[in-house]
Amino acid sequence: MQLKTTLSNPMKKILITLLVVFLHQISIAQVKGKKYSFTFNNVSLEKAIETIEKDSGYQFYFDKDWFKNYPDPITANFNDSTLESVLNDLFQNTSLNFYMSDEKIILTKNSVIYDKLPENYFNTEKNKPQNSAVVFQGSPVFEKEHNDGNIENENTISFVGKENKVSTGKTFELTGYVKDAKTGKPVADVIIRTKNNEATAITDQQGFYSIKLPIGINTIETENFLFRKVIRKVMMYSNGKMDLTVSENINQLKEVIVKGKKSETVKSANTGVTSINIEGLKNIPMVLGERDILKVATTIPGIKTAGEGSSGFNVRGGKTDQNLILLDNAVIYNPAHFFGFFSAINPFTIGSADIYKGSIPVEFGGRLSSVFDITTKNGNTSKLSGEGGIGPVTSNITVSTPIVKEKSSLLIGARATYSDWILKTLDEKSLKNSKASFYDGVVKYSHKINDNNDIEATGYYSHDAFSVSSDSLYKYSNRLFSLKWNHAFSIKHKAALLLSNSQYKFNIDYENENNMTKSFDFGYKIDENQVQLKFNYTLNDKHKISYGIASKLYKINPGYLNPIGQESLLTPVTIEKEKAIESGIYLSDSYKVSEKLLINAGLRYSFYAALGSSTQRVYQNDAPMTDATVTETKEFGNNKVIKTYSGFEPRISARFFITEDLSVKASYDKTYQYLHLLSSNTTQSPTDTWKLSDLNIAPQNADQYSLGFYKNFAEKDFEVSLEGYTKRINNILDYRVGAELLLNENIETELLKGKGKAYGIEFLIKKQSGKLNGWLGYTYSRTFIKLDSKFDSDKVNNGDYFPANYDKPHDLSAVLNYKFTKRYSLSTNFIYQTGRPITYPIGKYTYGNAEYTLYSDRNKFRIPDYYRLDIGVNIEGNHKIKKLAHSFWNISIYNVLGRNNPYSVFFVTKDGEVKAYKTSIFSVPVPTITYNFKF
Amino acid sequence: MKTKFTTKAIACILFCISLVSCTEPYQIQTNTFEDALVVEATITNELKTQQIKISRTYQFEENGPTMETGADVYITDNLGNRYDFTEQNGVYVSTVQFQAVPNVNYQLFITTASGNEYASNIQRMTTANQISSIDTDIVTKDSERGVQISVNSSDPTNTSKFYRYEYEETYKVVVPKWSNYKAYLLNPRTVSYMERGYESKTCFKTNKSDTFLLTNTTDLMEDLVYKFPIRFIGDREYMLSERYSILVRQFVISQQAYEYYKTIKALSDSGELLSPNQPGFVMGNIKSLTNPKEKIIGFFDVCSASEKRIFFNYGDVFPNEPIPQFFMDCPEESLDAGDFRTNPLGDGFKLISYVQSGQKVFYDFIYNPLSETHPIYVMVPAACGDCTTFASNVVPPFWQ
Repeated sequence: MQLKTTLSNPMKKILITLLVVFLHQISIAQVKGKKYSFTFNNVSLEKAIETIEKDSGYQFYFDKDWFKNYPDPITANFNDSTLESVLNDLFQNTSLNFYMSDEKIILTKNSVIYDKLPENYFNTEKNKPQNSAVVFQGSPVFEKEHNDGNIENENTISFVGKENKVSTGKTFELTGYVKDAKTGKPVADVIIRTKNNEATAITDQQGFYSIKLPIGINTIETENFLFRKVIRKVMMYSNGKMDLTVSENINQLKEVIVKGKKSETVKSANTGVTSINIEGLKNIPMVLGERDILKVATTIPGIKTAGEGSSGFNVRGGKTDQNLILLDNAVIYNPAHFFGFFSAINPFTIGSADIYKGSIPVEFGGRLSSVFDITTKNGNTSKLSGEGGIGPVTSNITVSTPIVKEKSSLLIGARATYSDWILKTLDEKSLKNSKASFYDGVVKYSHKINDNNDIEATGYYSHDAFSVSSDSLYKYSNRLFSLKWNHAFSIKHKAALLLSNSQYKFNIDYENENNMTKSFDFGYKIDENQVQLKFNYTLNDKHKISYGIASKLYKINPGYLNPIGQESLLTPVTIEKEKAIESGIYLSDSYKVSEKLLINAGLRYSFYAALGSSTQRVYQNDAPMTDATVTETKEFGNNKVIKTYSGFEPRISARFFITEDLSVKASYDKTYQYLHLLSSNTTQSPTDTWKLSDLNIAPQNADQYSLGFYKNFAEKDFEVSLEGYTKRINNILDYRVGAELLLNENIETELLKGKGKAYGIEFLIKKQSGKLNGWLGYTYSRTFIKLDSKFDSDKVNNGDYFPANYDKPHDLSAVLNYKFTKRYSLSTNFIYQTGRPITYPIGKYTYGNAEYTLYSDRNKFRIPDYYRLDIGVNIEGNHKIKKLAHSFWNISIYNVLGRNNPYSVFFVTKDGEVKAYKTSIFSVPVPTITYNFKF
Repeated sequence: MKTKFTTKAIACILFCISLVSCTEPYQIQTNTFEDALVVEATITNELKTQQIKISRTYQFEENGPTMETGADVYITDNLGNRYDFTEQNGVYVSTVQFQAVPNVNYQLFITTASGNEYASNIQRMTTANQISSIDTDIVTKDSERGVQISVNSSDPTNTSKFYRYEYEETYKVVVPKWSNYKAYLLNPRTVSYMERGYESKTCFKTNKSDTFLLTNTTDLMEDLVYKFPIRFIGDREYMLSERYSILVRQFVISQQAYEYYKTIKALSDSGELLSPNQPGFVMGNIKSLTNPKEKIIGFFDVCSASEKRIFFNYGDVFPNEPIPQFFMDCPEESLDAGDFRTNPLGDGFKLISYVQSGQKVFYDFIYNPLSETHPIYVMVPAACGDCTTFASNVVPPFWQ
C-alpha cells in the first residue's frame, strides 16, 4: 500500500484512526492459524517488522518514528509460531500494539483494538469485576505535538465511554489492570486515585482496580513507591476499562478513546436520567452560533419549552418553576439570556450536565419535576489552556491556568454579545432605539490541599438588558457563589461541605419622555443562602449509602415601585419582604440484591418555615379568598414563625435485567416544593416573580411513577429505551382570570389552587457511533390542570380538567450527525410539536354600554403546530501538529424550511375593538457562521 | 410585492436579533365563534318598571349584538311574588312597577324562545345607602388640568362595602355660528334659503358612562367612600363652557357582583406594561338549567340604588378663567352660488353638495358683485351652525 511509512505523521494517524473505526468489527480469527519461523540477529525492531512483512505477505501499517524509542537491537528466534505470538513477543517491552485483519497488520501505539467482547463479559463470579465495557482504543482526537514517548504527558485526555450516550449515573466505573511494563505481571497494592481525592482504589492481587469516577474530566494517578507515578486525564462518558502500565521508564499513554460497548442506561437503577454530552454539543446546529446545553436538553424526550423565546422548561408535565437548575450546587433562577434564545451557561466552562426527570436523588429537593445538575470543569493544573468561539452575535472565551502546579487551577469563562453595536450601526429607525445586551462570566478555582482534602470555589454572574419599546428598559441578573470542600475520612467514607448563595433580580425602568408623570423604576429580588453537608459511605459491595443535611434561607423582596424624576406622579410602593427557611435531611441506599436486581431506596424529609416579619391575612373558611373575606390580619415579628410545612419524600427505583442487554426499571418519586413562580404569561418571562409559601399559600407536591425498558443492540451500536410515566401534582398555583400579580400585597386573592395530572410515553433510539450517529426521540404526553372549588369564582372551565399551557401531545426530535471525513461533518436537527393550547376570543358582547370580548374556556384552542429543521456543517481545522490552536468552523442554518412558527397569539381590546396579534420568532432561515478554537 | 416582503423579512430578522420577536396583526379565526346569552339585569330598590337587557354574543365582523327576542322572563321572590317582564324595543321591562326590598330572596328565570331555561342564583338586596355629595375639584391628571367630579358616600352600618357607579352627563351647547336661516335646494342647480323653523342654536348633549366604576371600602375602618373619582374633564373642554350637569348613580352591590365586574373590566384593559392578564371566561351568577356547561354572560344584581345630580357653570369651578372655545374650528367658506365652472370645480357645485350632504350649513350671505341672482353663501361646518347635528334640541326635563 502506498501509504506505508511514507506518509506524513498526522496523515497517518488519521488514516489509522479511520481504519480503526471502520475495520474494528472485522474478524481476525482467520489469520491466527498460520505458523511462521523467523530468526532475528541484532536487528532493529523496524528491520524485524520489515522482515516479517516480507515473509508473511502481510502489509504493516505504522509510523517509523515509533521505533525511535526502541533502539535496542533484537535477537530472537521463533519457530513455527503464530504471527500473533511473534509480534507479542517483539512488542513486549514497547508501547506498541497491533491489530490484524486479512492481509493487514496495523500497529498502534499504546492502543489495543478489541473486536469482540471479553469472555467474562457477563461473568457473575463473585470477585470478578463488572467488565461491562469493552475497551476500544483509537487514535487521538486532538493529537498533541508528538513527544518522545518517554515524556510523561498528562495533558492529554483519555476518553472513557461513549461520547454520545445518554448516561444515567453521575459516576461511572473505570476498571482495569495495572501491570508492570517490563514483566507484564500484575502489580498489587497500587493506589489509583483522583487528583482531588474524591475517589480512590487499590489494585488487588491480580492487579485489578475499580474506581468510581464522576462524569467528565478526571485526573487519576497511581501511587506506589516502587513505581513511578502515572498521571492520566480521563474523560468519563460511561463505564469503561483502562489498563495502566507502571514502570520506571514508563511510556505514557497518549489520548485514548475508550468507548463502552454497553451503555450505563441499561444498568443503572434510575429512570428518566440524562447526561448531556458536552463534547457532542458542537455537533448540533446552533441558532446564532451558540452551543447550548439547555437547548440540547429540549431535544430529549420529556423536556419541552413553550417555544422559541421562552425561558424555562416543562419536564414531564411540570410547570417551568418546578426545575431545580444548579450550577456547581447553587441555584440559577433564570438560566436564560434574551428570553431563552441563549442559555446563560457558557458551554465551554461546563464539565458535565445531568438531568433528572425522574428518580431524583434524595440529595436534591425543593422542586417537583426535575433537576438540572450542571457542574463546571476544573481548570488545567499543568498549563495554560483555553477555548473560545466567535459568532455573529456573541463571542466567548474560556481560559484555564494553573496557580500552583498540579495542585490548584483557575478557570475563567466570559461571554458577551455585541448586538447593541449591530443595532446602532443599522440604518433602520425602528431599531435605533432598541437595546439588547447580555453577558455572563464564570470563575472557578479548584485546589487540592492534600490527598484527603480539596476545595472548589465558583462565582457566576449573568446580566441582561433589553428594551421592548423606547421608553422601557428591562434588566435582570443572576449571581451565585458556591464553595465545596471535599474530604475523605477513608477510602470508603467521604464527605462534602457545600456553601452557596444565589441571587436573581430584575428591574424595569420606564421613562416616557412625552409623559414623565408615569415614569417609574420597578424592581424585584430573590436571594438564597444554602449550607449542605453530604456523605457517601460504601458499606460493602452490596450497599452504598449516602446521607446528608441541607438548609437554605430565602429572602425575597417582592417588589418596589419608585417614581422617577420630579414630574412623576406615581406614589412609591414597596411590598413587604418575605423570608423563609427550608431544610432537608436524607438517607439513601443503593442495594445490589443480586447481579440482576439493583434497588435504590431513599428518603428525604423536608421542613419549611415561613418567617416574619410579616403581615398575614386570615380569610373566612367558607368563602373564596378576597379582600372582602378577610377576618383578621396577623402581625408577625422578625424571625417569628408564620407557618410551617413539612413532608416525607420517599424515592425508590429498581432495575432488573431480563436478559443481558435488556433491563426493566421502575421508580416512584415524591417531591415537595415550597417556592412558587408567579407568571401570568403563558411562558416564563424574566419578570415572573418567585413567591414563598406562607399562611395562605401551601407548598406544591408531586408523585411520579415511571416504568421503562432499555435495550442495547451491541452489534449495531443502537440503544433503545421506552419509558412511561404518570404524575400527580397537588396545590399547583394558577391565577384568576384577570389576575394582577405584580405589586400585589395580597397575592393570594389572585391565586387559585389546583391539581395537575400528567402522563406520557417516551421513546428514544440512539446510535452512538459510526459515520451516522445521533438520536431520535418521540414523546406522547398529556398534561392537565384542574381548578375546582366550591365557589364559582374559583372555578376554571367548570372545575374540569383542562390542558395546561404547555400540553403538547406529540413531540418528535431528531438529531442526526453524519461524518463525511474526519474534518467534515453534517448535523441536522428536526423538531415537530403539537401547537400549544391558548385561550381564544370567541366573540364580542355589549354590557354596560361598552363592548367586551368573550373568551373561550381556558386553553380550548391550539396555535398551529410547530416544526423546524436546522442544518449545520462542522469543519475541523487541519490536523497539523505544530499549531498554535486547534479550531473548527461551524456553519449552520436555523429553520431551513422558513416555517413561520407562531409563538403566541394575543388579543388587545382597544377603542372598543378587538385586535389580534401573532408573534413569531425566526420565521425565515437564519444562517450563522461561528469560529471556534482551542489551545 | 416580492421585494417588499424580502425587505420586511430582513427587517424582521434584525428585529428578532435585537428584540426577540416579530409581532404582526393576525386575522382572528371566526370559526371559533361561540353563541352565548348575555344578561344585564340590575334590579334596584327604586319603585319603577325594572329593566333587563338580554342579547347574544356576536362575531368580530359584526357591529353590534342582536337582542334575544321572545324570551319568557320573570323574577320570583320568597314571598310568593312573581314579576313578569315583557319585551319592549329589545329590552324586557316589568309589567308592573316594583322595587327590591331588604331581606327578600330574588331569583331570575329566563326561558328563551328556543326553549332553553336559565336561572340565577338567589340574590338579596344590599344595604340602602345614599350618595352624600358630589364634589368638583381642580386637579391635574396625566399632566392635564381639569375638573375632577367625585362622589362621597358613607354607611354608618358598615355593611355596604362594594360600590358601583354610573353617570349620565348632560351639557348645554350653543353653536358659535348660528343663523336663523338654512340653505336648501330650490331646484337641482339653485340654492336658496329659508327660516329654519326649529331650535338649532341651543342643544343638550348627553353621554353615559361606558365602564365599570367600582370601589370598595373593605380596607377602611369605616364604610366611607371619599372623593371617589367618577369623571375627569380637562379645563379646555367645551362641554364645560355653557352649563354642565352630571347625574351620578350609586349602586351598593354584592361582593360577587363586584368581583364579576372587576374581572370583566380588568380583562378589557389588557396590554399594560406591568400586568398582562390571564384571559378566560368569567362566570356570573346565571346558569343554564338545560345544559350546565353552557356559558352565560352577565350578572343578576339586586342592589340598592341612589342618585344625585349636580349642575355647574365653567366659572363656578374655574372662576375668572377664559371659557373654553367651541370644540371645533368653524372656518367660513364663501361660495359663489352662480359659479358652475367645471375646471376647477365651481363654487356652485360645492355649495350644492354641501347642502345635499349636510356637511356644511348656511351661516350668512353677502352681496355678489358678479351676479344679482346668485349671492355669495357663507357656509360653516354643520356642527358650528346647527346643534341638532350632534345633540338634541329638546330641553331635558331636569334642566335648570
